[in-house]
Amino acid sequence: MCLGCVSRRDFLRVAAAVPVIPAMLHVPGPVRADWLLIPMDDAQAEHLKAYGLTFRAIQRGVKAEWLLNYRGGSFLLPNDPAAARDAALNGITVEGLSDSAVMQVRGEIATSNMDAVPLEKAPKVAVYVPPFAAPWDDAVAMALNYAGIEYDKLWDTEVMDQGLKTYDWLHLHHEDFTGQYSKFYLNYAGAPWLAEMVSRNRDVARQLGYANVPALKKAVAQQISAFVERGGFLFAMCTATETLDLALAAANVDIAASYADGTPVETGASSKLDWSKSLAFQDATLELSPTTPVYSDIDGHQVNSADRRQQLGTFTIFGFSAKIDPVPTMLVQNHRDVIPDFYGLTTSFTRKTLKPGVTVLADEPGAPWVKYIHGEKGQGTWTFYGGHDPEDPQHQIGDAPTDLTLHPHSPGYRLILNNVLFPAAKKKELKT
Amino acid sequence: MRLVLALLLVATPLAAQVDSLNRAFDLERRGNYAAAVTAYRAVLKGRPSEVSALLGLERSLAPLSRTAEMVPDIGVALAANPTATALYGVAVRTYGAANMPDSLRRAVERWAQLAPKDETPYREWGNALLARRDRAGARAAYLAGRQQLGPTALAPELAQLAVLEVDYPGAAREWLLAVKKLPGYRSGAVVTLRQTPDAQRAAVLKVLDADGSPDALRLDAELRARWGDPVGGFERLSQVLPADPVEARDLLRQFAEGLRGNTAPAYRQAMGRALEAMAQRTNGAQKSRLQLDAAQAYLDAGDRAAARRMLASLASDGESPAALSASASGTLLRLLVEEGKMEEAEKSLSQYRGVLSTQEMATLTRRVALGWARAGKLDRAEALATADSSVDGLALRGQLKLFQGDIAGAVELLRAAGPYAGTREQATARTSLLALLQPIEEDSLPELGAAFLFLERGDTTAAVAGFTSAGGKRPRNKGGAELLLLAGRLEMARGQAPVAEKLFRAAVDTTAPATAPAALLELGHLLASSGRGGEAVPVFEQLILDYPRSALVPQARRALDEVKGAVPQ
Repeated sequence: MCLGCVSRRDFLRVAAAVPVIPAMLHVPGPVRADWLLIPMDDAQAEHLKAYGLTFRAIQRGVKAEWLLNYRGGSFLLPNDPAAARDAALNGITVEGLSDSAVMQVRGEIATSNMDAVPLEKAPKVAVYVPPFAAPWDDAVAMALNYAGIEYDKLWDTEVMDQGLKTYDWLHLHHEDFTGQYSKFYLNYAGAPWLAEMVSRNRDVARQLGYANVPALKKAVAQQISAFVERGGFLFAMCTATETLDLALAAANVDIAASYADGTPVETGASSKLDWSKSLAFQDATLELSPTTPVYSDIDGHQVNSADRRQQLGTFTIFGFSAKIDPVPTMLVQNHRDVIPDFYGLTTSFTRKTLKPGVTVLADEPGAPWVKYIHGEKGQGTWTFYGGHDPEDPQHQIGDAPTDLTLHPHSPGYRLILNNVLFPAAKKKELKT
Repeated sequence: MRLVLALLLVATPLAAQVDSLNRAFDLERRGNYAAAVTAYRAVLKGRPSEVSALLGLERSLAPLSRTAEMVPDIGVALAANPTATALYGVAVRTYGAANMPDSLRRAVERWAQLAPKDETPYREWGNALLARRDRAGARAAYLAGRQQLGPTALAPELAQLAVLEVDYPGAAREWLLAVKKLPGYRSGAVVTLRQTPDAQRAAVLKVLDADGSPDALRLDAELRARWGDPVGGFERLSQVLPADPVEARDLLRQFAEGLRGNTAPAYRQAMGRALEAMAQRTNGAQKSRLQLDAAQAYLDAGDRAAARRMLASLASDGESPAALSASASGTLLRLLVEEGKMEEAEKSLSQYRGVLSTQEMATLTRRVALGWARAGKLDRAEALATADSSVDGLALRGQLKLFQGDIAGAVELLRAAGPYAGTREQATARTSLLALLQPIEEDSLPELGAAFLFLERGDTTAAVAGFTSAGGKRPRNKGGAELLLLAGRLEMARGQAPVAEKLFRAAVDTTAPATAPAALLELGHLLASSGRGGEAVPVFEQLILDYPRSALVPQARRALDEVKGAVPQ
C-alpha cells in the first residue's frame, strides 16, 4: 500500500499502531521509541497541560514515572499511541526514547539528586466549591480545567453527608471557614453576589440544622480535618488555608462577627483558641474589626489592611533530597526556582505562627513569612499555598478569570498541579 | 552693626530650612522615600505646621505603606496651628490610614467649623474611609456633609460610591444632581454611566425620563447613543435643543462627536440627522459643508431619500462654494449608482469632465463602471474601464474579467494590480480571490463569473448556488474544495447553518490540503456555536492530527480548549 493511496488521517491511524508518530514527537529520523519522555524544562511547550497528559495516562492504566529533579521534573511513559495522540492534540512536547536512552537517563538519576517515582493510580479529585458564581476565580479549578484533569465539585451538603470518603484529594480555595463571607459583608453590602452568597449559606445551614453559618462551617472544617486524618490529601490556597485552621482551633470559641451569627466575637477569643486541633498554625491573634477583610496575623501580607499591607516580592522554592524526601521534592518540581509573589486574602504565612514540624516548601528569603507549606495529620497530608491566582498578582473582585492559554509555562500554577499528581505516587515511595 | 548681625541670625535659619525642604523634595523626587521622610521631619522640627513639609512627608510615607506613622507629626502640627485648614486634609487622611475613627471624626468636625460652606472636609472623610474599603462609613460621611451643606452636596462622590456598589440607577440620580449644579460634570456622568451593565440600563433610563429636565434628557440622549440606540438618542436630544442656535449647535456637535467612528447604519443615520439639524442652524459655506456631510452619512446609512434631500438643498443653494461641488458631485453620483440609475449617472459623469480633477474623474468613472457591472451591463462597464491604466483600474478590469468568466484574464490583471490598489481590505480580498482562482485550470468558467457577479450585486442566494455548482463540478484539488468552502462561508454568514455544514464537510478533502484545515476549522466553529460542542471536538482534533503543520493548528487548539471548557470564554 503506497502512502499516496491512503488519506493522511488513515495513515496516522495505522501509524499509531507502531511505536512512533514522528510528526508528533521531537525525535529525529527512524529511531525506535520505546518510551515517551515529557520534558518539564524549558523545552516544554505546554507545562500545565503536561500534567493532564500524565494524569490521563495513569487513568488509562499506564504505569508512568515522575523523574524528580530530572529536567524540571519530567514524566516518563511507555510509548503509548493514545499518549502520543493526546500530546499532539494539546501541543505538549514529548520526546521519543529508546530503551537504551532510558537506561542512560536512569543512570543519571541514580548518580544525582534525582529519583524516579512510579505513578500508578490516578487520584479521585474533589474541589470544594459553592454552587453559586463568586466574583473571583479559582486557580485550582482553572488549572485542572486547563490541564484536562477530571474532578467533582462538592460543597457543604455533600461534605456533611460523608461525601469526602470516596475521594483521594480535596482542594479548597477562597473559602471562609469562619463563616464570615470573606469579611466582605459590610464593605460590599448590597452587592448582588454577596446577597446570594449569604442567602445560599444561610439556607444550607438551616437545612442541615445549624444555628448559623459559622457553626456550619466549623462542622465542615472538622469533616475536612477528619478526611486528612483518614489518609486524604488536602490542598488549600488563599484564605481557605488560614480560615480552615482558625475554624478548627475555634471549635468552642465564638470568633465570628455579629453580622454572621448575631453575637459579637467572644472576649479574649484569641487566647481561647485550641491550636491542638489545627493543621498548620498556632498562637495566632485574631483581627477583630468586622470591616477589615483580614482574619489574623497568620497572613504576613495583610493585603486588605491599608496600614499593614506588605509589598509583594518573590518567593524561592526549596530544594530537597529526591531520594530521601520524595514528598516535598514532588511538591516543588519546577523549571523555575524563584517565582513572583501574588496577593490573596491570605497571601503568606508568618513564620511565628507555624507549628513545629511544618515543612516549608517555599519562602521569601529574609521575610518574616513563607509561601508554601506542607505537613501531615494522621494518615494523610495537607499542603497550603498562599495567594489567590499565581498569574494575577492583584486579583480584584469582579476581575475576569485568568486565561491560562496565555500562561502555559506558569511556574506558580505548576506548584498547584504538582499537588494533583502527588497522590498518584506509589505509596511505598512516600518515605517522608 | 548690631542690626546687621541680628538680621543674619534670623536669616540663616530660614535659609537653612528652605534648603532642607528642597533637599527633602529632591530625595523624594529621586525615589529615596526613607531618606525623604527623615529630611521632611527635620524641617517639621523647626516649623511643625509647615504644610509643604507635611504634604511631602505624607507623599513619602505612602509608598512605604507607613502613612499611619504621621499621627504624632499631625498632632504637633495641629497643636501649633489649629486654624490652618490646609493641615486638616492631611490629618483626615492620616487618621483614616491609622484606623483612628474618633480622631478622624473630630478632625472633620473641626475642619467643617473652620470652613462651614466647604464640601472638602466631608469629601476627604469619605475618601479616607473608602481607602479602607469602608463603603458604609464613606456613605455616612458624605450624607453627613449633605445634611450640613444642602441636598445637592457631594453628589459626584455619592454617584461614584453607588457605582462601586453596582447601583447604577442610584448613580444616575446622584449624577443628575451634580450636573444640574455644575454642567461640567456631564462628561464624568456619561463616562461613568455608559458602563452600566445591560441588566440595569432600562432602570437608569427610567430615572432620567422620570426627571424629564433638559439635563436629564441630554444625559438620556448621550447614553442611548452609546448603548446602541443613537437614533433614539437624537430624538431625545432634539426635544431639549435650546432656541439659541449657537447653544443648540454646540449640543448637536457634542452629540455628533460621540457617534464618530461608528459606521453601523443606525449611527450613520443619527449622524446625518445631527448634521442636518446643525445645518439648519448655520449659514453660508459652513451650512453647505454640513449638508454635504449629512448627505454622505445618510447614504452610508442607506437612507437615499434623505441623502437626495440634502443634495437637492445643496444644489439649490446658490451660495454653495465651488470647492464643495466636487464632493457633492461624487456623493450624488454614488447615490445614482446605488439607486441603479446608470444612464443618469454616466450622463452626470460626462458633465463633470473638465470641472473635476483627473484623479477625481477616474475615481468616479470606476464607480460608474462597477455600477454598470452590477446592472449586468458588462460591455458598458468595460468600455468605461478600458482606458484606466492605474493599478486601481487594473484591479477593476480584473474584476470585470472575472464577472465575464474569463479566469485567466482575471488572474493576470489582479496579479498585475498587486497589493497597491484600493484599501488594505480590498488588497487582502484580492489576494484571497487570487488564491481561490489559481488552482482552477480552466481559462474560462462563465458559471463561476456569474456567481461572482451575483455576489457583487448582493444576491447571495444565487451566488451560493453558482459557487456550489461550480465547486461540485471541479475536482476538489483543482479549486472545487475552495469554491465549496466559499459557498459554505456565505451560507454561514446568512444564517443557513445546515447548508453551510454540508458545504464545509464537502470541502474537507485530503487531496486539497490547503483548503481542508480551513474547512475543518469553519465546521468546528459552526458545530460549537450551534451547541454541538461534542461533535466539534473530533473535527478540531482531525484538523490538529491530520494537518499538524497547518497555520490553523493554534486556532484549532484554542477552539478545542473552549469547547472542552478548559479556558474561560
